[in-house]
Order: sequence, then C-alpha cells, then structure tokens
Amino acid sequence: MSAMAASAAAGLQALQAALAAEHAAVYGYGVAGAMLSGAEQSMALNDWKAHQEARDTLEAMIVKLGATPVAAAAAYELPFAVRDARSARLLATALEEGVARAYLGLVAVTDQRLRAFGALAMLPPANRAAAWRGSTVAFPGMPSGQHATG
Amino acid sequence: MLAASATALPLFPLLPALSACAGPDPLAGPAPLSADVRSLLRAVAAEQNLISLYVRTMAVYSALAPALAPLLAEHRAHLARLRAQIVEPPGKAVPGEVTSRPAIPGSREGALARLRAAERAASAAQLRRLAGVSPSLAQLYASIAASEATHVTALSDRGLSDRSPR
Repeated sequence: MSAMAASAAAGLQALQAALAAEHAAVYGYGVAGAMLSGAEQSMALNDWKAHQEARDTLEAMIVKLGATPVAAAAAYELPFAVRDARSARLLATALEEGVARAYLGLVAVTDQRLRAFGALAMLPPANRAAAWRGSTVAFPGMPSGQHATG
Repeated sequence: MLAASATALPLFPLLPALSACAGPDPLAGPAPLSADVRSLLRAVAAEQNLISLYVRTMAVYSALAPALAPLLAEHRAHLARLRAQIVEPPGKAVPGEVTSRPAIPGSREGALARLRAAERAASAAQLRRLAGVSPSLAQLYASIAASEATHVTALSDRGLSDRSPR
C-alpha cells in the first residue's frame, strides 16, 4: 500500500470511529434523557440533536470518500446501569468524553483537512462534557483527561 | 533541569555521527530547530503568559481565586506537558520568562472578559499549530485547545457562580 493510500485508509478509519461514537451518543442520550427532567432534559434533548447532526455530517463525509458509513447498532451496552438523574448525568458525560476521544483520533491522521476537522469537532463535546460533569479537565479526549496533572 | 519524557523532542536535533561520509558539518553550529520544537517553544511561551495573567488577576481580585484556581491548575498541567516534550541540551534552556504582562482591568467584569479573550485566543493559536507537526503533538495541541475552549465558557458569569460551564 502506498503512503498516500495508507493515509487515506487511516483517515477513513478514524472517520468511521467518530461516526460509531456519534451513533453511541445518539442512543445513549435516549436513555439518559428518560431519567432527566426540566432544564436537564432540555439540555439532553439539545445535545441529542447535536449528535444527530454530527452523525449526518460524518456519514456524508464517508460517502463522499466512496465508502459505506458504519451503521448504528440496534442497542448498546451501557458502561453502568442508568436508573436516576445522577447516573444519567454520568452517562451523558461519558458519552461526550467518548465522542471527544474519537475526534481526537482524527487529529492524528496526516491529512491536514481531516486533522483540522477533528480538532474543531471535538470542541463541542468537550464543552458538553464539562457541562454535565460540572467542571473542566486539562486534557479533554485524552485517557488522562480526567486529571488536571495529566 | 527538565525531566525528559520518552517522546520528548531534542531542542536541537542530534548531530550526525562523525564519519568520513559527506554530510552536514557537525562543527558548523546547531542545526535548525524542527517544526515540532519551534511550535513547542511558542506554545510554552504562550502558556506562561496565560498563567501569569491568571496569577495577577487572582492577586487583584482575590474573591475570584476559588473559581479561577482550577483553571490555573489546568494551565499549569498544560505547561508541564508541553515542556516535557522538549529536551534541553546543556547550556540551552527553554525560555521560562513571561513575555507579555497586560494590565489587569479595573473591574471584576473587565478582568473576566480579559481572561475569556485570552483563553479564546490561546485556543485558536493551538489549532493553528496543528499543521505540519507530528500526530502526537497535534493531538496534544487539539486537547489543550479544547480545554481552553471549555475555560471560555467556565469564565462566563454563570459559570463562575455555579461552576457549571454552560
């Protein structure tokens, strides 16, 4: 495989990973939203819509590259049981962190346009994660992002 | 002396081994800095200036200190991670001085607006550094840019009052 083909393949793989994360977020907000009420439920609804729009954007990008976008699963295994508002907020935080991590994967590709796209695309999930968490972190999207000391 | 991480970049590329082969003259002076190191030095300088702005703002408006301290801690973490990417060769130190000391505005609201503007500018600058650097460094810049973007929101009046960034 030539370097150019390898670069294109890596870019497509990272886009598919971001799409898979968006699919999971769309599903997860459906679960979280059911456990929230009032302003928090409205917030979850807005975030759910944002992930749908991001999903559609990624699907269009992947189709434009001549590939088939990964499909959403019928159901997703949640990282923990969601039974109340507190666990719903934790799930929303985890979903946003997962999406930010996936977009950060796009930043590692050599295609400069995809790299810039990934960096910009991770700003909204980083902000939403901070909102649900109630605090900021030093390194959003990175495995050590929870810890200010990195 | 800074601790060097496993992936740290030398401030100056290693000189080629001496041999009879034709190539760069190792006695001709230090080789030019790599793109990664040049951008890292700028990022370190910018981070130091931002930290200075936080410290001076907290000194003037002590009531803001509890809300600003977590953000300052994250900037110190950014600086440590950035500096850890660079190996200092003997006799050459990564610049450590603050190069920009804008006046702290005379009102609390003005000071917060100054911090928000500084965070916004810092985030945009990190994003401009992405092109042409290594993948791992690009990810570090992107992550710091995202952190700084969340700081802009956290620095809104609402964010400061309840620590909820939006």
